[in-house]
Amino acid sequence: MCRTGDGPEPTEIADAAGTNAAFIALLEDSAEELYESAPCGYLSTLMDGTIAKINATLLNWLGLRREAVVGKARFADLLTVGGKLYHETHFAPLLRIQGELRGIALELKSADGRRLPVLVSSVVKYGGEDEPLLIRTTVFDAADRRAYEQELLRRRQEAERARAEAEQARGEADRARRQAEVERERLADALAVLQQSLVPSSLPVVPGLEAAVHYHTASPDRLGGDFYDLFPLGGGRWAFFLGDVCGKGPRAAALTSLTRYTLRAAALHSPEPAAVLTTLNTVLYEKHAAGGDPRFCTVIFGTIEPGTDHDRTTVRLASGGHPPSLVLRADGHADYLTTPGGLLVGVLPTAPFSTAETTLGAGDTLLLYTDGLTEARTGATRESLFGDDALRAFAADHAPSSASGVITALTGLLESFGDGLDDDTALLALGVPATHPTAHPATNQPR
Amino acid sequence: MSPLNITHYDAATGPVLHVDGELDYEHAPALREQVERLVLNPGQNLVIDLAALAFCDSTGITVLLAAHQRAQAAGARMTLAAVPANTLRILRVVGLDQVFTILPDSSA
Repeated sequence: MCRTGDGPEPTEIADAAGTNAAFIALLEDSAEELYESAPCGYLSTLMDGTIAKINATLLNWLGLRREAVVGKARFADLLTVGGKLYHETHFAPLLRIQGELRGIALELKSADGRRLPVLVSSVVKYGGEDEPLLIRTTVFDAADRRAYEQELLRRRQEAERARAEAEQARGEADRARRQAEVERERLADALAVLQQSLVPSSLPVVPGLEAAVHYHTASPDRLGGDFYDLFPLGGGRWAFFLGDVCGKGPRAAALTSLTRYTLRAAALHSPEPAAVLTTLNTVLYEKHAAGGDPRFCTVIFGTIEPGTDHDRTTVRLASGGHPPSLVLRADGHADYLTTPGGLLVGVLPTAPFSTAETTLGAGDTLLLYTDGLTEARTGATRESLFGDDALRAFAADHAPSSASGVITALTGLLESFGDGLDDDTALLALGVPATHPTAHPATNQPR
Repeated sequence: MSPLNITHYDAATGPVLHVDGELDYEHAPALREQVERLVLNPGQNLVIDLAALAFCDSTGITVLLAAHQRAQAAGARMTLAAVPANTLRILRVVGLDQVFTILPDSSA
Protein backbone atom coordinates (compact mmCIF):
# COMPACT_ATOMS: atom_id res chain seq x y z
CA MET A 1 0.00 0.00 0.00
CA CYS A 2 1.42 3.37 -0.95
CA ARG A 3 -0.01 6.76 -0.79
CA THR A 4 1.18 10.27 -1.57
CA GLY A 5 1.15 12.32 1.59
CA ASP A 6 3.02 12.95 4.80
CA GLY A 7 3.49 9.38 5.83
CA PRO A 8 1.71 6.44 7.33
CA GLU A 9 -1.32 7.36 9.33
CA PRO A 10 -1.58 6.21 12.96
CA THR A 11 -4.20 3.58 12.24
CA GLU A 12 -1.94 1.99 9.70
CA ILE A 13 0.91 1.79 12.20
CA ALA A 14 -1.35 0.04 14.64
CA ASP A 15 -2.46 -2.42 11.94
CA ALA A 16 1.12 -3.24 11.00
CA ALA A 17 1.97 -3.98 14.59
CA GLY A 18 -1.02 -6.36 14.87
CA THR A 19 -0.05 -8.22 11.67
CA ASN A 20 3.46 -8.59 12.92
CA ALA A 21 2.26 -10.07 16.18
CA ALA A 22 0.06 -12.55 14.40
CA PHE A 23 2.95 -13.48 12.14
CA ILE A 24 5.26 -14.09 15.08
CA ALA A 25 2.59 -16.20 16.76
CA LEU A 26 2.50 -18.40 13.70
CA LEU A 27 6.24 -18.99 13.74
CA GLU A 28 7.48 -22.19 15.32
CA ASP A 29 8.01 -21.47 18.94
CA SER A 30 10.56 -24.20 19.24
CA ALA A 31 12.80 -26.35 17.07
CA GLU A 32 11.47 -29.33 18.95
CA GLU A 33 7.93 -28.52 17.84
CA LEU A 34 9.11 -28.17 14.24
CA TYR A 35 10.95 -31.50 14.47
CA GLU A 36 7.97 -33.36 15.87
CA SER A 37 5.24 -31.94 13.66
CA ALA A 38 7.07 -31.29 10.38
CA PRO A 39 5.21 -32.47 7.25
CA CYS A 40 7.84 -35.15 6.79
CA GLY A 41 9.23 -37.95 8.88
CA TYR A 42 12.52 -37.61 10.75
CA LEU A 43 14.51 -40.26 12.41
CA SER A 44 18.04 -40.73 13.66
CA THR A 45 19.63 -44.12 14.02
CA LEU A 46 22.87 -45.52 15.29
CA MET A 47 25.23 -46.85 12.69
CA ASP A 48 23.74 -50.33 13.15
CA GLY A 49 20.32 -48.93 12.32
CA THR A 50 18.90 -48.89 15.84
CA ILE A 51 16.41 -46.04 16.05
CA ALA A 52 17.56 -43.40 18.51
CA LYS A 53 15.09 -40.67 17.74
CA ILE A 54 11.93 -40.45 15.65
CA ASN A 55 9.41 -37.66 15.14
CA ALA A 56 5.70 -37.74 15.81
CA THR A 57 4.80 -37.36 12.11
CA LEU A 58 6.56 -40.58 11.18
CA LEU A 59 5.22 -42.44 14.23
CA ASN A 60 1.78 -41.29 13.23
CA TRP A 61 2.19 -42.56 9.65
CA LEU A 62 3.39 -45.89 10.97
CA GLY A 63 0.76 -46.13 13.69
CA LEU A 64 3.50 -46.94 16.23
CA ARG A 65 4.17 -45.70 19.72
CA ARG A 66 7.52 -44.11 20.49
CA GLU A 67 8.30 -46.61 23.30
CA ALA A 68 7.89 -49.50 20.87
CA VAL A 69 10.41 -48.04 18.48
CA VAL A 70 13.15 -46.01 20.10
CA GLY A 71 16.05 -48.27 21.15
CA LYS A 72 14.07 -51.34 20.16
CA ALA A 73 13.64 -51.33 16.39
CA ARG A 74 16.01 -50.68 13.58
CA PHE A 75 15.16 -48.58 10.53
CA ALA A 76 15.05 -51.69 8.39
CA ASP A 77 12.33 -53.09 10.66
CA LEU A 78 10.01 -50.29 9.50
CA LEU A 79 10.32 -51.41 5.88
CA THR A 80 8.39 -53.97 3.84
CA VAL A 81 10.17 -57.23 3.04
CA GLY A 82 11.24 -55.93 -0.36
CA GLY A 83 12.30 -52.63 1.13
CA LYS A 84 14.27 -54.41 3.84
CA LEU A 85 16.12 -56.46 1.25
CA TYR A 86 16.93 -53.37 -0.79
CA HIS A 87 18.05 -51.58 2.35
CA GLU A 88 20.48 -54.32 3.29
CA THR A 89 21.94 -54.92 -0.16
CA HIS A 90 22.08 -51.39 -1.54
CA PHE A 91 20.94 -48.65 0.73
CA ALA A 92 23.04 -49.29 3.83
CA PRO A 93 26.30 -50.21 2.02
CA LEU A 94 26.06 -47.18 -0.28
CA LEU A 95 25.30 -44.90 2.62
CA ARG A 96 28.34 -46.17 4.49
CA ILE A 97 30.56 -45.50 1.45
CA GLN A 98 29.09 -42.20 0.28
CA GLY A 99 28.00 -40.74 3.55
CA GLU A 100 24.65 -39.66 2.08
CA LEU A 101 21.80 -40.86 -0.13
CA ARG A 102 18.95 -38.84 -1.56
CA GLY A 103 15.44 -39.58 -2.78
CA ILE A 104 15.54 -43.36 -2.55
CA ALA A 105 12.09 -44.88 -3.06
CA LEU A 106 11.20 -47.40 -0.38
CA GLU A 107 8.06 -48.75 1.18
CA LEU A 108 7.28 -48.56 4.88
CA LYS A 109 5.00 -50.99 6.53
CA SER A 110 2.52 -49.51 8.98
CA ALA A 111 1.27 -51.28 12.12
CA ASP A 112 -2.04 -52.05 10.42
CA GLY A 113 -0.28 -53.61 7.42
CA ARG A 114 -0.65 -50.74 4.96
CA ARG A 115 2.24 -50.00 2.64
CA LEU A 116 3.44 -46.41 2.59
CA PRO A 117 5.46 -45.44 -0.46
CA VAL A 118 8.11 -42.95 0.68
CA LEU A 119 11.19 -41.17 -0.57
CA VAL A 120 14.09 -41.51 1.86
CA SER A 121 17.18 -39.32 2.22
CA SER A 122 19.90 -40.09 4.75
CA VAL A 123 23.14 -38.45 5.83
CA VAL A 124 25.80 -39.83 8.15
CA LYS A 125 26.93 -37.59 10.98
CA TYR A 126 30.66 -37.87 11.63
CA GLY A 127 32.59 -37.20 14.83
CA GLY A 128 35.76 -35.11 15.23
CA GLU A 129 37.91 -38.05 14.13
CA ASP A 130 35.74 -38.53 11.02
CA GLU A 131 34.25 -41.58 12.64
CA PRO A 132 30.59 -42.16 11.70
CA LEU A 133 28.39 -41.44 14.65
CA LEU A 134 24.83 -41.72 13.54
CA ILE A 135 22.49 -41.55 10.57
CA ARG A 136 19.94 -38.78 10.08
CA THR A 137 17.06 -39.69 7.85
CA THR A 138 14.13 -37.76 6.36
CA VAL A 139 11.12 -39.58 5.03
CA PHE A 140 8.73 -37.96 2.49
CA ASP A 141 5.29 -39.29 1.75
CA ALA A 142 5.43 -40.42 -1.89
CA ALA A 143 1.89 -41.80 -2.16
CA ASP A 144 0.87 -39.08 -4.64
CA ARG A 145 3.98 -39.47 -6.63
CA ARG A 146 3.63 -43.24 -6.64
CA ALA A 147 0.05 -42.91 -7.79
CA TYR A 148 1.25 -40.59 -10.55
CA GLU A 149 3.92 -43.06 -11.58
CA GLN A 150 1.46 -45.91 -11.52
CA GLU A 151 -0.92 -43.85 -13.62
CA LEU A 152 1.90 -43.27 -16.12
CA LEU A 153 2.68 -46.95 -16.09
CA ARG A 154 -0.98 -47.85 -16.57
CA ARG A 155 -1.23 -45.41 -19.49
CA ARG A 156 1.87 -46.89 -21.04
CA GLN A 157 0.49 -50.40 -20.64
CA GLU A 158 -2.77 -49.28 -22.20
CA ALA A 159 -0.96 -47.72 -25.14
CA GLU A 160 1.07 -50.91 -25.43
CA ARG A 161 -2.09 -53.00 -25.38
CA ALA A 162 -3.79 -50.76 -27.97
CA ARG A 163 -0.74 -51.08 -30.20
CA ALA A 164 -0.79 -54.87 -29.77
CA GLU A 165 -4.50 -54.95 -30.58
CA ALA A 166 -3.96 -52.80 -33.68
CA GLU A 167 -1.13 -55.12 -34.63
CA GLN A 168 -3.38 -58.12 -34.18
CA ALA A 169 -6.21 -56.49 -36.16
CA ARG A 170 -3.77 -55.76 -38.95
CA GLY A 171 -2.60 -59.36 -38.84
CA GLU A 172 -6.18 -60.55 -39.06
CA ALA A 173 -6.92 -58.19 -41.95
CA ASP A 174 -3.81 -59.52 -43.67
CA ARG A 175 -4.95 -63.07 -43.14
CA ALA A 176 -8.44 -62.21 -44.43
CA ARG A 177 -6.92 -60.53 -47.45
CA ARG A 178 -4.75 -63.55 -48.19
CA GLN A 179 -7.76 -65.81 -47.73
CA ALA A 180 -9.80 -63.67 -50.14
CA GLU A 181 -6.90 -63.83 -52.57
CA VAL A 182 -6.92 -67.62 -52.38
CA GLU A 183 -10.71 -67.74 -52.85
CA ARG A 184 -10.48 -65.40 -55.81
CA GLU A 185 -7.85 -67.57 -57.44
CA ARG A 186 -9.92 -70.68 -56.79
CA LEU A 187 -12.96 -69.01 -58.38
CA ALA A 188 -10.87 -67.84 -61.33
CA ASP A 189 -9.63 -71.43 -61.78
CA ALA A 190 -13.17 -72.78 -61.65
CA LEU A 191 -14.34 -70.18 -64.15
CA ALA A 192 -11.44 -70.98 -66.46
CA VAL A 193 -12.35 -74.70 -66.37
CA LEU A 194 -16.00 -73.87 -67.04
CA GLN A 195 -15.04 -71.51 -69.85
CA GLN A 196 -12.98 -74.26 -71.47
CA SER A 197 -16.02 -76.53 -71.41
CA LEU A 198 -17.90 -73.99 -73.53
CA VAL A 199 -15.53 -74.10 -76.47
CA PRO A 200 -13.49 -77.03 -77.76
CA SER A 201 -9.92 -77.14 -76.46
CA SER A 202 -8.70 -77.73 -80.00
CA LEU A 203 -10.26 -78.01 -83.43
CA PRO A 204 -10.31 -81.37 -85.19
CA VAL A 205 -8.27 -81.86 -88.35
CA VAL A 206 -10.63 -81.83 -91.32
CA PRO A 207 -9.28 -83.41 -94.51
CA GLY A 208 -9.30 -80.94 -97.40
CA LEU A 209 -10.01 -78.00 -95.12
CA GLU A 210 -8.03 -75.66 -92.93
CA ALA A 211 -9.71 -74.40 -89.76
CA ALA A 212 -8.50 -71.63 -87.48
CA VAL A 213 -10.03 -69.94 -84.46
CA HIS A 214 -9.47 -67.09 -82.05
CA TYR A 215 -11.27 -66.34 -78.80
CA HIS A 216 -10.86 -63.03 -77.02
CA THR A 217 -12.18 -62.88 -73.44
CA ALA A 218 -13.01 -59.33 -72.40
CA SER A 219 -12.89 -60.01 -68.66
CA PRO A 220 -11.48 -63.05 -66.87
CA ASP A 221 -14.12 -62.84 -64.08
CA ARG A 222 -17.04 -62.77 -66.46
CA LEU A 223 -17.69 -65.98 -68.25
CA GLY A 224 -17.98 -65.32 -71.91
CA GLY A 225 -21.14 -65.75 -73.86
CA ASP A 226 -19.47 -66.53 -77.19
CA PHE A 227 -19.15 -70.10 -78.42
CA TYR A 228 -18.14 -72.11 -81.47
CA ASP A 229 -17.55 -75.72 -82.46
CA LEU A 230 -16.50 -77.89 -85.38
CA PHE A 231 -17.29 -81.62 -85.39
CA PRO A 232 -17.80 -84.54 -87.78
CA LEU A 233 -21.25 -85.65 -88.98
CA GLY A 234 -19.94 -88.75 -90.74
CA GLY A 235 -19.89 -89.48 -94.45
CA GLY A 236 -17.27 -86.80 -95.08
CA ARG A 237 -19.51 -84.02 -93.78
CA TRP A 238 -18.74 -81.70 -90.91
CA ALA A 239 -20.81 -79.32 -88.89
CA PHE A 240 -19.74 -75.99 -87.43
CA PHE A 241 -21.37 -73.23 -85.47
CA LEU A 242 -20.49 -69.95 -83.88
CA GLY A 243 -22.71 -67.74 -81.74
CA ASP A 244 -23.25 -65.43 -78.84
CA VAL A 245 -25.69 -65.88 -75.95
CA CYS A 246 -27.29 -62.92 -74.23
CA GLY A 247 -25.73 -61.71 -71.02
CA LYS A 248 -22.59 -62.57 -69.13
CA GLY A 249 -21.49 -64.66 -66.20
CA PRO A 250 -22.68 -68.03 -64.89
CA ARG A 251 -26.21 -67.70 -66.32
CA ALA A 252 -24.78 -66.99 -69.75
CA ALA A 253 -22.41 -69.92 -69.35
CA ALA A 254 -25.29 -72.26 -68.48
CA LEU A 255 -27.16 -71.04 -71.57
CA THR A 256 -24.04 -71.51 -73.71
CA SER A 257 -23.69 -75.06 -72.46
CA LEU A 258 -27.34 -75.85 -73.24
CA THR A 259 -27.00 -74.26 -76.68
CA ARG A 260 -23.78 -76.03 -77.58
CA TYR A 261 -24.95 -79.53 -76.68
CA THR A 262 -28.41 -79.03 -78.17
CA LEU A 263 -26.81 -78.00 -81.48
CA ARG A 264 -24.47 -81.01 -81.47
CA ALA A 265 -27.28 -83.44 -80.69
CA ALA A 266 -29.71 -81.86 -83.18
CA ALA A 267 -27.06 -81.90 -85.93
CA LEU A 268 -26.48 -85.62 -85.50
CA HIS A 269 -30.23 -86.23 -85.67
CA SER A 270 -30.88 -84.13 -88.77
CA PRO A 271 -28.09 -81.94 -90.12
CA GLU A 272 -30.27 -79.58 -92.18
CA PRO A 273 -29.16 -76.16 -90.78
CA ALA A 274 -32.64 -74.59 -90.61
CA ALA A 275 -33.97 -77.71 -88.85
CA VAL A 276 -31.11 -77.64 -86.32
CA LEU A 277 -31.85 -74.02 -85.44
CA THR A 278 -35.56 -74.77 -85.16
CA THR A 279 -34.76 -77.50 -82.62
CA LEU A 280 -32.53 -75.13 -80.66
CA ASN A 281 -35.22 -72.45 -80.78
CA THR A 282 -37.79 -74.84 -79.34
CA VAL A 283 -35.46 -75.95 -76.56
CA LEU A 284 -34.46 -72.42 -75.52
CA TYR A 285 -38.00 -71.06 -75.79
CA GLU A 286 -39.47 -73.86 -73.70
CA LYS A 287 -36.77 -73.53 -71.06
CA HIS A 288 -36.69 -69.76 -70.68
CA ALA A 289 -38.97 -67.46 -72.68
CA ALA A 290 -42.09 -69.55 -72.00
CA GLY A 291 -41.49 -68.89 -68.31
CA GLY A 292 -41.33 -65.11 -68.83
CA ASP A 293 -37.53 -64.93 -68.70
CA PRO A 294 -36.39 -64.69 -72.32
CA ARG A 295 -32.86 -65.96 -72.89
CA PHE A 296 -31.66 -66.17 -76.38
CA CYS A 297 -28.66 -66.51 -78.57
CA THR A 298 -27.58 -65.53 -82.01
CA VAL A 299 -25.89 -68.28 -83.96
CA ILE A 300 -24.80 -69.39 -87.39
CA PHE A 301 -24.97 -73.11 -87.87
CA GLY A 302 -23.61 -74.79 -90.99
CA THR A 303 -22.48 -77.99 -92.59
CA ILE A 304 -19.49 -78.26 -94.84
CA GLU A 305 -18.55 -81.02 -97.24
CA PRO A 306 -15.02 -80.67 -98.53
CA GLY A 307 -14.84 -81.36 -102.26
CA THR A 308 -12.45 -83.63 -104.03
CA ASP A 309 -9.77 -82.27 -106.37
CA HIS A 310 -12.27 -81.17 -109.00
CA ASP A 311 -15.40 -80.49 -106.93
CA ARG A 312 -15.97 -77.37 -104.96
CA THR A 313 -16.57 -77.48 -101.23
CA THR A 314 -20.24 -77.14 -100.37
CA VAL A 315 -21.34 -75.00 -97.42
CA ARG A 316 -24.94 -74.88 -96.20
CA LEU A 317 -25.79 -72.58 -93.36
CA ALA A 318 -28.58 -70.89 -91.48
CA SER A 319 -28.49 -67.87 -89.22
CA GLY A 320 -30.45 -67.17 -86.08
CA GLY A 321 -30.19 -63.40 -85.82
CA HIS A 322 -26.41 -63.53 -86.15
CA PRO A 323 -24.24 -61.09 -88.14
CA PRO A 324 -23.64 -62.51 -91.63
CA SER A 325 -20.54 -64.53 -92.38
CA LEU A 326 -17.92 -63.28 -94.81
CA VAL A 327 -16.31 -65.13 -97.67
CA LEU A 328 -12.81 -64.15 -98.76
CA ARG A 329 -12.52 -65.34 -102.33
CA ALA A 330 -9.37 -66.54 -104.03
CA ASP A 331 -9.75 -63.71 -106.56
CA GLY A 332 -9.33 -61.06 -103.86
CA HIS A 333 -13.00 -60.22 -103.29
CA ALA A 334 -14.70 -60.34 -99.91
CA ASP A 335 -18.48 -60.49 -99.55
CA TYR A 336 -21.05 -61.06 -96.87
CA LEU A 337 -23.03 -64.22 -97.23
CA THR A 338 -26.59 -63.19 -96.53
CA THR A 339 -28.82 -65.64 -94.75
CA PRO A 340 -32.45 -64.60 -95.29
CA GLY A 341 -34.97 -64.48 -92.48
CA GLY A 342 -33.48 -65.64 -89.28
CA LEU A 343 -34.34 -64.43 -85.83
CA LEU A 344 -32.74 -64.50 -82.43
CA VAL A 345 -32.98 -68.09 -81.25
CA GLY A 346 -35.27 -68.71 -78.29
CA VAL A 347 -37.48 -65.62 -78.57
CA LEU A 348 -40.65 -66.86 -80.24
CA PRO A 349 -42.31 -70.29 -80.03
CA THR A 350 -41.94 -70.66 -83.79
CA ALA A 351 -39.26 -68.78 -85.62
CA PRO A 352 -38.44 -68.55 -89.32
CA PHE A 353 -35.07 -70.00 -90.30
CA SER A 354 -33.94 -70.79 -93.81
CA THR A 355 -30.89 -72.51 -95.19
CA ALA A 356 -28.55 -70.77 -97.63
CA GLU A 357 -25.91 -72.48 -99.70
CA THR A 358 -22.62 -71.48 -101.22
CA THR A 359 -19.56 -73.22 -102.52
CA LEU A 360 -15.92 -72.62 -101.78
CA GLY A 361 -13.20 -73.11 -104.34
CA ALA A 362 -9.51 -73.52 -103.74
CA GLY A 363 -8.19 -70.50 -101.88
CA ASP A 364 -11.64 -69.38 -100.63
CA THR A 365 -12.10 -68.87 -96.90
CA LEU A 366 -15.32 -68.57 -94.88
CA LEU A 367 -15.18 -66.33 -91.81
CA LEU A 368 -17.61 -66.38 -88.90
CA TYR A 369 -17.35 -63.85 -86.10
CA THR A 370 -19.33 -62.48 -83.17
CA ASP A 371 -20.35 -58.85 -82.88
CA GLY A 372 -17.51 -58.06 -80.47
CA LEU A 373 -15.56 -57.48 -83.68
CA THR A 374 -18.00 -55.23 -85.53
CA GLU A 375 -19.21 -53.46 -82.38
CA ALA A 376 -15.69 -52.63 -81.19
CA ARG A 377 -15.34 -48.92 -80.50
CA THR A 378 -12.95 -47.07 -82.74
CA GLY A 379 -13.68 -43.57 -81.42
CA ALA A 380 -14.39 -41.73 -78.22
CA THR A 381 -18.11 -42.57 -78.00
CA ARG A 382 -20.05 -45.79 -77.93
CA GLU A 383 -21.47 -44.84 -81.33
CA SER A 384 -18.16 -44.90 -83.21
CA LEU A 385 -18.05 -48.58 -84.06
CA PHE A 386 -15.78 -50.55 -86.35
CA GLY A 387 -18.85 -51.70 -88.33
CA ASP A 388 -19.73 -54.01 -91.18
CA ASP A 389 -18.31 -51.90 -94.01
CA ALA A 390 -14.90 -51.59 -92.36
CA LEU A 391 -14.83 -55.34 -91.76
CA ARG A 392 -15.61 -56.08 -95.39
CA ALA A 393 -12.91 -53.63 -96.49
CA PHE A 394 -10.42 -55.19 -94.08
CA ALA A 395 -11.25 -58.67 -95.40
CA ALA A 396 -10.96 -57.51 -99.03
CA ASP A 397 -7.53 -56.05 -98.23
CA HIS A 398 -6.42 -59.45 -96.97
CA ALA A 399 -8.11 -61.62 -99.62
CA PRO A 400 -7.06 -64.10 -100.71
CA SER A 401 -6.11 -65.49 -97.36
CA SER A 402 -5.84 -68.88 -95.73
CA ALA A 403 -7.94 -69.59 -92.64
CA SER A 404 -4.97 -69.12 -90.33
CA GLY A 405 -3.90 -66.03 -92.28
CA VAL A 406 -7.20 -64.22 -91.83
CA ILE A 407 -7.40 -65.18 -88.14
CA THR A 408 -3.87 -63.84 -87.58
CA ALA A 409 -4.75 -60.59 -89.35
CA LEU A 410 -7.98 -60.19 -87.35
CA THR A 411 -6.24 -61.00 -84.06
CA GLY A 412 -3.87 -58.13 -84.82
CA LEU A 413 -6.86 -55.91 -85.62
CA LEU A 414 -8.56 -56.81 -82.31
CA GLU A 415 -5.38 -55.95 -80.43
CA SER A 416 -5.25 -52.59 -82.19
CA PHE A 417 -8.71 -51.75 -80.77
CA GLY A 418 -7.24 -51.72 -77.24
CA ASP A 419 -9.90 -50.60 -74.76
CA GLY A 420 -12.37 -50.23 -77.61
CA LEU A 421 -12.78 -53.99 -77.57
CA ASP A 422 -14.91 -54.41 -74.47
CA ASP A 423 -16.88 -57.52 -75.43
CA ASP A 424 -15.93 -61.14 -75.93
CA THR A 425 -15.10 -61.95 -79.51
CA ALA A 426 -14.99 -65.32 -81.23
CA LEU A 427 -13.57 -65.84 -84.73
CA LEU A 428 -13.79 -69.06 -86.76
CA ALA A 429 -12.36 -69.42 -90.27
CA LEU A 430 -12.74 -72.41 -92.57
CA GLY A 431 -10.64 -72.32 -95.70
CA VAL A 432 -10.09 -74.50 -98.73
CA PRO A 433 -6.33 -74.60 -99.26
CA ALA A 434 -5.11 -73.07 -102.51
CA THR A 435 -4.25 -75.72 -105.09
CA HIS A 436 -0.95 -74.14 -105.98
CA PRO A 437 1.74 -73.14 -103.55
CA THR A 438 1.53 -69.49 -102.60
CA ALA A 439 3.48 -66.83 -104.46
CA HIS A 440 6.04 -66.83 -101.64
CA PRO A 441 7.89 -70.16 -101.57
CA ALA A 442 8.72 -71.51 -98.14
CA THR A 443 12.43 -70.98 -98.75
CA ASN A 444 11.85 -67.25 -98.87
CA GLN A 445 12.23 -65.15 -95.75
CA PRO A 446 8.73 -64.75 -94.29
CA ARG A 447 7.52 -61.18 -94.26
CA MET B 1 -26.09 -39.15 -61.99
CA SER B 2 -27.38 -42.39 -63.41
CA PRO B 3 -26.70 -42.99 -67.10
CA LEU B 4 -30.26 -44.29 -67.41
CA ASN B 5 -33.38 -42.26 -66.65
CA ILE B 6 -36.82 -43.63 -67.32
CA THR B 7 -39.87 -41.41 -67.23
CA HIS B 8 -43.37 -42.78 -67.33
CA TYR B 9 -46.67 -41.18 -68.26
CA ASP B 10 -50.03 -42.53 -69.26
CA ALA B 11 -51.36 -41.65 -72.69
CA ALA B 12 -54.90 -42.41 -73.83
CA THR B 13 -53.63 -45.51 -75.60
CA GLY B 14 -51.62 -46.87 -72.68
CA PRO B 15 -48.41 -46.30 -70.76
CA VAL B 16 -45.46 -44.54 -72.37
CA LEU B 17 -41.92 -45.00 -71.14
CA HIS B 18 -39.20 -42.56 -72.19
CA VAL B 19 -35.79 -44.17 -72.00
CA ASP B 20 -32.94 -41.71 -71.64
CA GLY B 21 -29.45 -43.20 -71.40
CA GLU B 22 -27.82 -46.56 -71.84
CA LEU B 23 -29.47 -49.96 -71.92
CA ASP B 24 -26.48 -52.11 -71.10
CA TYR B 25 -25.52 -54.91 -68.71
CA GLU B 26 -25.40 -52.47 -65.81
CA HIS B 27 -28.49 -50.37 -66.43
CA ALA B 28 -30.96 -52.43 -68.46
CA PRO B 29 -32.39 -54.20 -65.35
CA ALA B 30 -33.85 -50.84 -64.21
CA LEU B 31 -36.09 -50.75 -67.31
CA ARG B 32 -37.04 -54.37 -66.74
CA GLU B 33 -38.20 -53.58 -63.20
CA GLN B 34 -40.15 -50.57 -64.45
CA VAL B 35 -41.91 -52.69 -67.07
CA GLU B 36 -42.74 -55.40 -64.55
CA ARG B 37 -44.42 -52.82 -62.30
CA LEU B 38 -46.60 -51.43 -65.12
CA VAL B 39 -50.33 -51.96 -65.10
CA LEU B 40 -51.28 -53.12 -68.61
CA ASN B 41 -54.83 -53.75 -69.74
CA PRO B 42 -56.02 -55.73 -72.77
CA GLY B 43 -56.05 -53.62 -75.92
CA GLN B 44 -53.58 -51.07 -74.58
CA ASN B 45 -50.41 -50.11 -76.38
CA LEU B 46 -47.20 -49.91 -74.34
CA VAL B 47 -44.94 -47.40 -76.06
CA ILE B 48 -41.23 -47.41 -75.33
CA ASP B 49 -39.78 -44.18 -76.65
CA LEU B 50 -36.10 -44.64 -77.46
CA ALA B 51 -35.43 -41.14 -78.85
CA ALA B 52 -32.86 -40.48 -76.09
CA LEU B 53 -31.38 -43.98 -76.07
CA ALA B 54 -27.60 -43.64 -76.14
CA PHE B 55 -26.59 -47.29 -76.30
CA CYS B 56 -28.21 -50.72 -76.36
CA ASP B 57 -26.48 -54.08 -76.07
CA SER B 58 -27.78 -57.64 -75.82
CA THR B 59 -29.04 -57.13 -72.26
CA GLY B 60 -30.99 -54.11 -73.53
CA ILE B 61 -32.48 -56.26 -76.29
CA THR B 62 -33.42 -58.87 -73.66
CA VAL B 63 -35.35 -56.26 -71.69
CA LEU B 64 -37.19 -55.08 -74.82
CA LEU B 65 -38.12 -58.71 -75.50
CA ALA B 66 -39.32 -59.17 -71.95
CA ALA B 67 -41.45 -56.03 -72.33
CA HIS B 68 -42.87 -57.38 -75.59
CA GLN B 69 -43.72 -60.66 -73.91
CA ARG B 70 -45.23 -58.89 -70.89
CA ALA B 71 -47.47 -56.85 -73.22
CA GLN B 72 -48.59 -59.95 -75.11
CA ALA B 73 -49.34 -61.81 -71.90
CA ALA B 74 -51.57 -58.89 -70.83
CA GLY B 75 -53.40 -58.88 -74.18
CA ALA B 76 -51.73 -55.57 -75.00
CA ARG B 77 -49.27 -54.51 -77.69
CA MET B 78 -45.81 -53.00 -77.50
CA THR B 79 -44.43 -50.37 -79.84
CA LEU B 80 -40.91 -49.05 -80.05
CA ALA B 81 -40.80 -45.40 -81.02
CA ALA B 82 -37.94 -43.32 -82.40
CA VAL B 83 -35.41 -46.12 -82.40
CA PRO B 84 -31.90 -44.70 -83.03
CA ALA B 85 -30.22 -45.86 -86.24
CA ASN B 86 -27.58 -47.93 -84.49
CA THR B 87 -30.10 -49.85 -82.42
CA LEU B 88 -32.37 -50.26 -85.44
CA ARG B 89 -29.44 -51.81 -87.30
CA ILE B 90 -28.94 -54.32 -84.47
CA LEU B 91 -32.66 -55.11 -84.37
CA ARG B 92 -32.50 -55.83 -88.13
CA VAL B 93 -29.44 -58.08 -87.74
CA VAL B 94 -31.09 -60.16 -85.07
CA GLY B 95 -34.39 -60.24 -86.96
CA LEU B 96 -36.41 -58.45 -84.30
CA ASP B 97 -37.62 -55.85 -86.81
CA GLN B 98 -39.96 -58.65 -87.87
CA VAL B 99 -41.23 -59.10 -84.32
CA PHE B 100 -41.48 -55.60 -82.85
CA THR B 101 -43.75 -52.83 -84.05
CA ILE B 102 -41.35 -50.00 -84.78
CA LEU B 103 -42.41 -46.39 -85.35
CA PRO B 104 -40.03 -43.87 -86.91
CA ASP B 105 -40.69 -41.12 -84.35
CA SER B 106 -42.14 -40.43 -80.93
CA SER B 107 -45.62 -39.36 -82.12
CA ALA B 108 -47.23 -42.53 -80.87
